[in-house]
Amino acid sequence: MTTDPDNSDFRYPLRWRLMDGAERLLEIVWPRRFGRFTGWLLLLPALLLVGILVLGLWQMAESSLHVLDRNTFLPSEEYTLSNYGTIWQSATYFKVIWRSVQGAVWTVVFTLLLAFPFAYVLVRTPRAWVRKLLLIALFLPFFIGQVVRAYGILIVLGTSGAVNDVFGLIGVGPYRLLFNFPAVVFGLVQYMLPFAVLMLAPALTSIPQETETAASSLGANWLRSMRHVVLPMAKPGIVGASLVVMTLSLTDFAMPAMLGGGSQDFIANAIYDQFFRTADQGLGSALALLLVALGSVLVAVIIGLFGAGTLGMGEKK
Amino acid sequence: MRASPILSEVTKTAVAGQSHAVRVRDVTMDFGSGSSPAVDRASFDLEKGKFLTILGPSGSGKTTLLRMIAGFQRPTRGDITIGGKPVDAAPPHRRSVGMVFQKLALFPHMTAAENVAFPLKMRRFNPAKTPARVREFLDLVKLGDFGGRRVNELSGGQQQRVAIARALVFEPELLLLDEPLAALDRKLREEMQLEFRRIQRELGVTTINVTHDQREALVVSDDIIVMDGGIIQQHAKPVEMYRAPENLFVSSFLGVSTFIDGQVAEGGMHAADGSLLRGTPVSVGLQTGQRGRGAIRAEQIRIDQDQGGLSHCDTVLQVAIKDVIFEGERLLYTAASPILPGVDFQIYHHDPEAFDLYEVGQQVWIGWKAGDLKVFKAAD
Ligand SMILES: Nc1ncnc2c1ncn2[C@@H]1O[C@H](COP(=O)(O)OP(=O)(O)OP(=O)(O)O)[C@@H](O)[C@H]1O
Ligand SMILES: [Mg+2]
Repeated sequence: MTTDPDNSDFRYPLRWRLMDGAERLLEIVWPRRFGRFTGWLLLLPALLLVGILVLGLWQMAESSLHVLDRNTFLPSEEYTLSNYGTIWQSATYFKVIWRSVQGAVWTVVFTLLLAFPFAYVLVRTPRAWVRKLLLIALFLPFFIGQVVRAYGILIVLGTSGAVNDVFGLIGVGPYRLLFNFPAVVFGLVQYMLPFAVLMLAPALTSIPQETETAASSLGANWLRSMRHVVLPMAKPGIVGASLVVMTLSLTDFAMPAMLGGGSQDFIANAIYDQFFRTADQGLGSALALLLVALGSVLVAVIIGLFGAGTLGMGEKK
Repeated sequence: MRASPILSEVTKTAVAGQSHAVRVRDVTMDFGSGSSPAVDRASFDLEKGKFLTILGPSGSGKTTLLRMIAGFQRPTRGDITIGGKPVDAAPPHRRSVGMVFQKLALFPHMTAAENVAFPLKMRRFNPAKTPARVREFLDLVKLGDFGGRRVNELSGGQQQRVAIARALVFEPELLLLDEPLAALDRKLREEMQLEFRRIQRELGVTTINVTHDQREALVVSDDIIVMDGGIIQQHAKPVEMYRAPENLFVSSFLGVSTFIDGQVAEGGMHAADGSLLRGTPVSVGLQTGQRGRGAIRAEQIRIDQDQGGLSHCDTVLQVAIKDVIFEGERLLYTAASPILPGVDFQIYHHDPEAFDLYEVGQQVWIGWKAGDLKVFKAAD
């Protein structure tokens, strides 16, 4: 077949022509000589969002410095640190904070223990239907939402729920499985699993199958190849997943509220109470800032321990 | 003296077991899905200490065959033994096979020295002796000063060397190389080919190398196997493989050749116009009058301005030069003859004194010896 350059039958694909049009339009709106500001322009939406966040934080910091005037039920005028003092001296708040941190740590541990094998099989299975099944199992709970899921757990683990029914069949129980710390962690793990798997899967995908084959041909059995090759190479994903699960659990509201039954409050629940029950904005803001600080410190500790380049972004150092 | 028959039998098997490091018998790999087998009834033996290259185009089943020998994949049918023991008698980590992979598969979170130490650690080599051994093998691949570097701080060629050292440091019975040089540029690749050869000779380790670089195969190997479509086409020494290809595929795969279709005749073949081109029949059962295809290598065609200069040739033709390609150390002419329509002769010409001897359009003479035109059964 010969091609004739003047052959008028030939048209560029519609998509190309649209792109050309868009480019011409862009040239008018944002001429090429603005080129060196383009990067900033693209950053603008993100900067705006962060800006709003910082503004909110700033206002919270402001209001955390005013105590609630019990007579007028308005924040008092003068600046004081006494909200922080209240938290510092309160055994209850100390317990809540400590419970949140513990809950977050346990959730990270259990979630990773469950998510890693899941992600590994998901990535490595040679069978397409297994992968599909695992993906469906992963995403289905995603669509259900946290509250509905917590409610489901309430039903299943309740005194007359399915689990206690099974216990009844073998002649033990019923046990009180809900409204305690393990129940909250259970709910959180259940909630976090998809996030962790989604963070781990790309990290595992980036480890070539050949690397594992090589390890086995060099004499490593499966366990040792895991320990010496796969785990170290998956570190970016593991650290990333830990950070996400840690911060999300630390700040979680619904699971402690619903599965803890009021006895297992996390910091977010305490903040909620101050804002919407006691209407003590000042104390609520102080707690909120404390939570931000706590989260930042934990993230900093993890990054400090495992290195900042470990999120797998940018060039390897 | 008459030896006891039982004893001699025992001695024979012992000797055979000793000299044949690898024995492959009727090995077939069928991935199913209706396609033809990736490897089809492959059989060969490899003597201890020899360097075998499996050569073939992409998709010919080289990697599949190698993976079966390594024990990463179980053949659909057939037997493979290494050092007299069946391959799948043990999981990969208990076998004594070192492998260098197509993509190297070095461990990026370790230094070069840690990579080399890895198999020793996994195989519970004496920890006190490990540093010396690692050092020895890094020296062997000329990386003595690079042990502390991370993998991504090494050049492509240096990474190759680490991969080789890592595959050899535990002194495996067999070394498998799956095109580890494919990604390198030509100069480095040729350097590494010789390096492989040197190290292999130095250690005397039996080696199977996979490549689709024919030059590499010819340069480094004791033995070559040419594969196509999952079938072993020929198994021979390099010179023999090049000089005496057994079929059209091998003949076209190695070197640059001209192919001529015609009728098989006594002492050669008849061209379309009936003239006799002198040649040698190769295919088994080739009969006069059958359709045949002749193949002659570019360097075996002589070229001269006058017919008189080709008096030592058995067949002489007048041709017109169609194209000249300058390849540096030699010229590649393309030429056509009116009695062989559709045939473009490929002719290598090496003449240190007179470059650009013939021009496009010029009439010249070419000729060859009867032994150089190989006549095969025509492919259908
Ligand atoms: N796991 C597999 N499942 C199905 N088919 C496969 C599998 N592995 C290889 N094949 C097929 O087997 C044939 C041989 O593949 P193989 O990888 O052995 O080729 P090769 O000679 O190593 O090619 P290359 O030079 O490109 O590496 C190909 O047609 C390939 O598609
Ligand atoms: Mg291959």
